[in-house]
Amino acid sequence: MPKKVVVIGGGIAGIQASLDLADMGYEVHLVEKTPSIGGRMAQLDKTFPTNDCSMCILSPKMIMCAGHENVTLHTYSEVEEVSGQFPHLKVRIKEKARFVNINKCTGCGDCIAKCPVKVPDEFEQKLSNRKAIYLPFPQAVPRKVTIDAETCTMIKSGKCGVCKKVCQAGAIEYDQKDKLTEINASAIVVATGFDLMDASALPQYGYGSCKDVVASLQFERILSASGPTGGHLVRPSDGSTPKRLAFVQCVGSRDEKMHKYCSSVCCMYATKESILAREHVPDIETTIFYMDMRAVGKGFQEFVQRAEKNYGVRYVRSRPAKVQSARGDKGVLVTYETRGLAGEQVTEEFDLVVLCPALLPSKGSKALAKLLGLELDEDDFLKAKDMRHPVDSTRKGVLVCGFASAPMDIPDSVAQASGVAARVAELLQGGG
Amino acid sequence: MAEFNPTILAFCCNWCSYAGADLAGVGRLQMPPNIHVIRVMCSASVKPEYVLKAISGGVDGVLVLGCHIGDCHYMTGNHRTAKRMPLVQKVLKEVGIDERRLRLDWVSASEGEKFQKVVTEFVGEIKNLGPNPMREVKW
Amino acid sequence: MPRIGVFVCHCGHNIAATVNVEKVIEFAKGLPDVVVAEHSLYSCSEEGLGSIRKSIEKNKLDRVVVAACTPRTHEPLFRKACEMAGVNKYLFEFVNIREHCSWIHTKEPDPATEKAKKLIAMGVAKAGLLEPQKEAESNVIPTAVVIGGGLTGLTAAASLVAQGIDTHLVEMSGKLGGVLGEIEIIGPEFSRSKELLDELVNDLKASSNAKIHLDTRVTAVSGFIGNFEVTIETKGKSEKIPAGAIILATGATELAPTGEYGYGSIPGVITQLELERRLAKGDVPKRAVFIQCVGSRQPGREYCSRVCCNASLKNALRIVEAEPNSSVSIIHRDIMSYGTASERLYKEASDKGVVFLRYGLERPANVTQKQKGLVVEVYDETIDENIDIDTDLVVLATPMVSREDARDVAKLLKVPLDKYGFFLEAHVKLRPVEFATDGVFICGSARWPSSVSECMGQGLAAAAKASIPIRKGKVVVEAITCWADADKCAACGSCVIACPYEAIEIVEEEGRRYAKVNETLCKGCGTCVASCPNDAMQQRGFTSRQLSSMIDALIKNAMEET
Repeated sequence: MPKKVVVIGGGIAGIQASLDLADMGYEVHLVEKTPSIGGRMAQLDKTFPTNDCSMCILSPKMIMCAGHENVTLHTYSEVEEVSGQFPHLKVRIKEKARFVNINKCTGCGDCIAKCPVKVPDEFEQKLSNRKAIYLPFPQAVPRKVTIDAETCTMIKSGKCGVCKKVCQAGAIEYDQKDKLTEINASAIVVATGFDLMDASALPQYGYGSCKDVVASLQFERILSASGPTGGHLVRPSDGSTPKRLAFVQCVGSRDEKMHKYCSSVCCMYATKESILAREHVPDIETTIFYMDMRAVGKGFQEFVQRAEKNYGVRYVRSRPAKVQSARGDKGVLVTYETRGLAGEQVTEEFDLVVLCPALLPSKGSKALAKLLGLELDEDDFLKAKDMRHPVDSTRKGVLVCGFASAPMDIPDSVAQASGVAARVAELLQGGG
Repeated sequence: MAEFNPTILAFCCNWCSYAGADLAGVGRLQMPPNIHVIRVMCSASVKPEYVLKAISGGVDGVLVLGCHIGDCHYMTGNHRTAKRMPLVQKVLKEVGIDERRLRLDWVSASEGEKFQKVVTEFVGEIKNLGPNPMREVKW
Repeated sequence: MPRIGVFVCHCGHNIAATVNVEKVIEFAKGLPDVVVAEHSLYSCSEEGLGSIRKSIEKNKLDRVVVAACTPRTHEPLFRKACEMAGVNKYLFEFVNIREHCSWIHTKEPDPATEKAKKLIAMGVAKAGLLEPQKEAESNVIPTAVVIGGGLTGLTAAASLVAQGIDTHLVEMSGKLGGVLGEIEIIGPEFSRSKELLDELVNDLKASSNAKIHLDTRVTAVSGFIGNFEVTIETKGKSEKIPAGAIILATGATELAPTGEYGYGSIPGVITQLELERRLAKGDVPKRAVFIQCVGSRQPGREYCSRVCCNASLKNALRIVEAEPNSSVSIIHRDIMSYGTASERLYKEASDKGVVFLRYGLERPANVTQKQKGLVVEVYDETIDENIDIDTDLVVLATPMVSREDARDVAKLLKVPLDKYGFFLEAHVKLRPVEFATDGVFICGSARWPSSVSECMGQGLAAAAKASIPIRKGKVVVEAITCWADADKCAACGSCVIACPYEAIEIVEEEGRRYAKVNETLCKGCGTCVASCPNDAMQQRGFTSRQLSSMIDALIKNAMEET
């Protein structure tokens, strides 16, 4: 009987851990809160420093994961309870009702076309709308639609029912209930990733009040060919093409009052987004306001230099004091201090400003930690057991990888995920 | 006079351009129905003979689509394609076939729109070039 | 004579709304070798798959063509259905008439239908020429070899033996621990490296699965995944180790400055590792200046060595703790204290009085010797002024660089290096601990300067990857590999050069020389096929005859129209 492992979180770290564990012969149950696996990487346009198309390199792994004979996906699901002790853990998984029979749904999309309800799309970071019945993104795995109970007219008030009429596979089931599954697992892997801090917590940066101030993940969606603007770099206020672009680093990070730590990846992704912006708009001029330019990985320094020399990116070492609207709804003014003793306060106008907010352990990871009895560090990331065990949590049998343990980029998350698989194998072999 | 409706053959690599074509489909990006795709694992496996066979048989245009340079799933495959196809174009020119009937381009798995653009452009170009003169040849 | 069944999917409205499925079925029935042509609402559903299986049995089909969506999602599903009905899964061909047809020609149903017919004709032509395939398998020797006995190699080896896998750890020097062995206290927790290393070594020594070879070098490596032969030499004696997987953990070294800032001529100008040794002996300076980025982030060596800022922060704090009246400065171009714990260290150092000065590449500092002590002159960019710092010690934080023998190791294992001599992984984002060559893995600072926890994480990752083929006991390869027809092969070697995976070699058998493809290494790209001048090299599932038949089918059906 193969031993079972529950992996919580279906981003790149969870997917990699699942693949390795499955290849090692374990029965993997991958639990993902949203309707599709893929996580943050699915929302990126390209990845630094190679500017690989993110979905192109992620999608084969998603398909492999779903198709692996040793992996069972539990999407639109959450872990409700964990009892027992390693190696006899009982994990109760709640699969939320999708109101769609996933064995019948073929993901053809006829229902989506006819649904009359439109709501802000979380995947597109609220820059566009989706329907109440939806696929989170075109390459979703599993390719099954989900009805959002909170916005569906039928589920809320018993009216409509268009999707059921249109579905030729008979997959719509308005009476579907949440499903509970219990897995007798030998180990658990936590790979719950990150969320962006809501930058409106720092009103001086203009997020929420200024139309042309967006968060970095929103900018990724704007750049994406499959995103809300079809990959056209336009600004929210009037849909015009920005010529002057700015990035503000460390919004809420390295901040005494907000989050003290460094989110690690923002210097690099801001540089990447600047390069991509130039590729979209050949005469765009970009400024990055930063504190320290943390380009510490393979090829990273060269990437930053290329941005400066070949893509005209202007790096200004300064932490802006204020970001506000320029004219009514349009344009943005950034106020900062220039360097040196003779430094003075300068205000510059930009067409579009991108904020790089602090990257936080994902919402729900704190509650999950409590459920699992795991210790958190001062920044609410999952604490490692000790130096000897960098991917073990403080509870035996529960391993952690990726951003859930500390801010890190894709290669480090993938390495940790494979590392977790080794640790599971050690523990289940009788090791400590 | 019936309008000339070209017949075009396209070789798409599994990892990039075939997926890009799929994405165009998913996005319902409309394009002229003249393209017929043959899936290969890598654009580097497209032999010159295939192009020449297609053209000599009367196919009006051949499109070879691979991953962008640097992104080849098999590392260096598309470097060879990049060198090979211009040579095939030279051969076509030598035998009196307009070398524009062979086009090499790079489409990534996320470039549904680019696929649509390349296909639409190429069909337009071939329409302008007219039917493949080899159609008249009776073997 | 093949017996082909064609199954056309409606996909609800998605195909049927544009493509006239009935007309397509009628057309398909008339194609060569087609015995039956059927349609279903959703071929991929339980019902659809069931009806295909039934049809295979009823009509004694030996080739199956499904015309539906993209093979990239459901090909495995249909292949399985074929297998279940007794048809070899490689006798299946998928024709895309949704993403590549119905969805992109919604306003032109007639042309779309004609196109679907042609695509199916092409698929049927290929299917008729498909051959059943057996996936190549090769066994795996259940032993791993880890090269390098530093922190990373120890971690990888300890994990492997804890997983119950026989592992040989090969270390060139007389002791284990590598560079970390020279660093007494490690950040950010200020723990003792000896405790960590001892634990790892003891875990290894306690296991009957581990064999440690000190004073040993690897002199030759041959073979491929599952079947390597690693030749090692200890004090003149040679031994051959058969192995299934190899992990490279040879680490990196500290760059020795070549006279910068008076190194070598001015006493008191030392490197970070030299400082580590002094601090370990209790020799704590009263005043110290750390200079960051000495020899890195500059023309000729552009990279940032990732770990030096944190090392300086840790050592600055050690000095401040040990010597209450000490005065410590760190002059830098950026402080790379990325992440959580390191950023706290930065703040702590600053709170405890460590002075941070920012300098620029264009204006490096200057170190001069005074009667008593040293003076560091530096242009502070933050305040636009020249500052003089009196100090006892100047610590040069130089980068980690690749070892001098990295090139030799790379040649031995036939793996690539980047321009700085660090080993180049298969894919910088998604395959950080693998090489393009199967069965060989990379971890630690040999790949890129890495911190203690990063080295350990990568060591564990490499152990996981290495364990997979060993656990499986065999390596199975998808049967889309290439082979050369020995009768046609001129042994010109073009394919050998073309193959990105070094999977082909020219062999001599029965007096005949030809190109032989190692099926276990072949990735099925077909690059060799197009480089072959004689049509000798073929790819299973994509042979010249098969693809040519598709072109013929297109020509036949297109020309008949006009």
